[in-house]
Amino acid sequence: MRIAGGLALAILTVGFGTPAEAREPRSPDAALAELLDAARSAGCTSPGADRLIRVLCAGRLRVGVREYYPLFATRDGDVRKGYEVDVARDVAAKLGVSIDFTRVNAASRIPLLAEDRIDLVIATMGHNTQRDGQARFIRPHYYRSETILVGPKALAIADWPNIAGRTVCVTIGNGSNADLVAHDARLLLFDEAGVLPDRLKDGTCSLAAQDDSFFAEAFTHPDFAARFGQKFGFAQVPWGMAVERSGSDKLARALDLISQIFHRDGVFLAAARRHQIATGFLEEQQKVWRSPACNTDSGNTDADCVLPALDTELEPTRFAGIVKAFEDWFSEITGIELSLPMLTTVPAWSLLLDGIGNTLVLIGGALLATLLFALGIGAALSSTAGPLRWLAKGVVVLLQSSPIVLTLVVASAIAHALFPFSATVALGTAIAALGLANGSNAGQAIGEAMLTLRQEGANAHHGQTLFARAVGRSATQIVAFLINAAKGTPIASFIGAPELLSALTDITSFSSGRATTYTLLLIFYTLVVMVVVAVCRRLQAAIESGRAAS
Amino acid sequence: MIALVEHLWSDFMPLLLAGMVVNFEIAGVAIGLGLAFGLVLAYAHLRGGLLGNAAASAITLMRAAPTFVVMFFLLNALPRNMSISGAMTVALSLLPYSAAFVADSGVDALRHLRSGSALAALQFLPNVMRAFFVLVMSSSAGAAIGVGEGITAILHEAELLPALGDRLVLFAIGVASFGIPLQLGFALLRLIQRRLGLLLG
Repeated sequence: MRIAGGLALAILTVGFGTPAEAREPRSPDAALAELLDAARSAGCTSPGADRLIRVLCAGRLRVGVREYYPLFATRDGDVRKGYEVDVARDVAAKLGVSIDFTRVNAASRIPLLAEDRIDLVIATMGHNTQRDGQARFIRPHYYRSETILVGPKALAIADWPNIAGRTVCVTIGNGSNADLVAHDARLLLFDEAGVLPDRLKDGTCSLAAQDDSFFAEAFTHPDFAARFGQKFGFAQVPWGMAVERSGSDKLARALDLISQIFHRDGVFLAAARRHQIATGFLEEQQKVWRSPACNTDSGNTDADCVLPALDTELEPTRFAGIVKAFEDWFSEITGIELSLPMLTTVPAWSLLLDGIGNTLVLIGGALLATLLFALGIGAALSSTAGPLRWLAKGVVVLLQSSPIVLTLVVASAIAHALFPFSATVALGTAIAALGLANGSNAGQAIGEAMLTLRQEGANAHHGQTLFARAVGRSATQIVAFLINAAKGTPIASFIGAPELLSALTDITSFSSGRATTYTLLLIFYTLVVMVVVAVCRRLQAAIESGRAAS
Repeated sequence: MIALVEHLWSDFMPLLLAGMVVNFEIAGVAIGLGLAFGLVLAYAHLRGGLLGNAAASAITLMRAAPTFVVMFFLLNALPRNMSISGAMTVALSLLPYSAAFVADSGVDALRHLRSGSALAALQFLPNVMRAFFVLVMSSSAGAAIGVGEGITAILHEAELLPALGDRLVLFAIGVASFGIPLQLGFALLRLIQRRLGLLLG
C-alpha cells in the first residue's frame, strides 16, 4: 500500500500533475525535493522500477567516466580527478548516494548505458541529433566545447577569410571539418587528435583544428603556450550527461533539475575553475538559469532556456538505399568491406560532382595552356631577335629549376595578391602554372628543333612555315609534356583548386570509407591519364603523318 | 630588404638545406626501388610471352598513375598496421614513375646489349641520373602531407612573411636552391652524354 501510494504520488508529481499552464511555476529545488521524496518512499523491490528508485535504494550511482582526458577526467591509481569527475561527485552528493566509477571511452559509453552497467555517463559526449536516438541527454548541458584553430602566435589569422587556401590539420570524422571545407581550407587528415600538438611543434602543421577541451591540456604546458595560440573558435557542441532512454524517466528528470540548479548556483562554474578549463559558456549559462523565466521546474524543457542538440544529420541522396544494398552485396560476395560515402549523402554527392567537373576543366585547361605556352615559348626561342630569345631562355631555366609545387605556390601568391581567393581563381592559377611548367619544356624542344632545321639549311615548303616544321619535329616531346601536364593536375589541390582529389579528401574528412575512396580516385585518374595518352598519341601520329606528307 | 635577406640567410637557409637533404634522400630511395623493380620489368618485358605482356601492362599502368594521387592513396588506403613514414610514403609514390622510366630505359639498354652495342647500352646511366633529378624535384609533393622537406621549409617561412615582395624574395631563394644543383646535374649529364657520344663514334 505504501509502495503504491508513493508511486502514485511520484507519477502525479512528475508527469501527470496539473497542466503546466494551470499551475504556478515552482522552483527547481522544490520540484527536485518532491521527486526525490517520492522516489525514496517508493518500494525497492518493485519490478520495472525507474532507475532513480534503484539508485536511491542501492545507495550508489554508477557513473561512466573517461580515464585519460586531461583536465576533464583522469585516473592515477585510485585517484580520479577532473571537471567531469567533480561533476559526477556533486551529482551523487545531491542525490545523497555514493558513487561507483566505471571506465568508458567514446565507443563504449552508450552501449554500457544500454547494458545497464552504468546509470549515468559523463564522458565528454557532444549532444547531437544522431545520439538523441541512442540515449536520453540531460538538459541543461553541463559544458560546451567548440572547435578551435590553433597555430603559431606569429601567424596573422583572425577569422574565416584568412583560412581560404590554407592547410589545416584535422582528425578524420570530426564534424567541424565540414565548416573548414566550406571556407575553402585544405585539410591534412590524421587518425588521432593526440598527434596534433606534436605536429604543430615539429612544423608539419602550421594550423590545427580540434576541440578546445583537447587543446586545453596542451596549453597548460608553458613551452606550447609560448609558441602557439588560439586563432578563433567555431562549431560549438553542447556536452550532455546521459542516461538510458528507457526506464530512466525519473532519473533523467532529477538530473535535469540538478543540472539546472548547478548552473544557477555556480556549482559547474566552480568545478570548471578548479580545473582551469574554459568558463565562458558556464558563465553565460549561470546568467540564463538565474533569470526568473528559466529558474522554474519547467525551465529545462523551455526552448528559450535550453540549447538544442547539434544537428549532424546529413541529407541522404535519392539512391542512398541502392548504394547501401550494393555495398552489402559486394561485401557479402567478396568479403571486402566497401564504403561509398560520396554516393550516400547530398553534400558528399555534390562535392563529388563538382570535383569531377573541375578535374575535367583543369585537365582540359592544363593541356590547352601547355600547348599555347609551348608554341609561345618555342616561337620566342626560335626568334632571330636576341633579347627575346635570351628572355625566353631565362624563363625556361627558371621554370625548369623550380619544383612544380613551388611554381604553383608562387603563382598562387601572385594570384591572391591580385584577386580574392575563390575556386575559379585557384583553378585558373593551377592551369597557368601547369601550362607554364610543362609548356616551357615543350617550347624548349620546339626551339631546339628549329635550331636543327636551321643548321640543316631547311626552308619553308609546301605551305608549311619553318616554325610549323619545328613543331612537327618536336611532336614527341610536346606530347610527352602534354601527358605530364595531365598527370600533374591533381597537385593543383595543393593550392586549393577544388578538383577531385581535394573533393574526396573533404568527403572522407567527415565520413568513412577512406580506402575505397582513394582506390577509386587512383583508378579514375589513371584512366583519365590513359585516355589523354591515347588522344595525344593520335595527335602525334596526325602531326607526324602531315610532316611525312609534306 | 637587407634585414630580410640577412634573416633568411642566417635562420632560414639551414632549415632549407636540411629539408633539401630529405628531398635527395626520398629521390635516392625512389630511384633505388625503381631500379630494382624497373629492371625486373624490363627483363620480363623482353622475354615476351604471358609474363612479358603482364610486364608491359604494368609499365603502362605505372606510367599513367599520377604521383600525387598515388601518394594520397598510400597515405589513406593502406591498412593501419602497415603505417609508413611520410618520407617513405613520398618515395613509394614516386616508385611507379621511376620503375616505369627505368623499365623503358632498361628495355632499350638490354636491346643494345643483345645487339652487341655495349656503349649504346651505357646511355642507361645518364638516363637514370636524369630520372634522379626529376625525382628530387617531384619529391617536393611531400609538402602536401607534411613531410619536412625543402618546400615545406619555404612554405613555413612564407606564412610568416605578410608582404608579397618579401615572399617573392623567399621563393627566388627557394628556386635558386633547387635550381643550382639541378642545372649543375644536367650540365654533368650533358658532359657524360657527350663523352659517351665520342666513345660511340
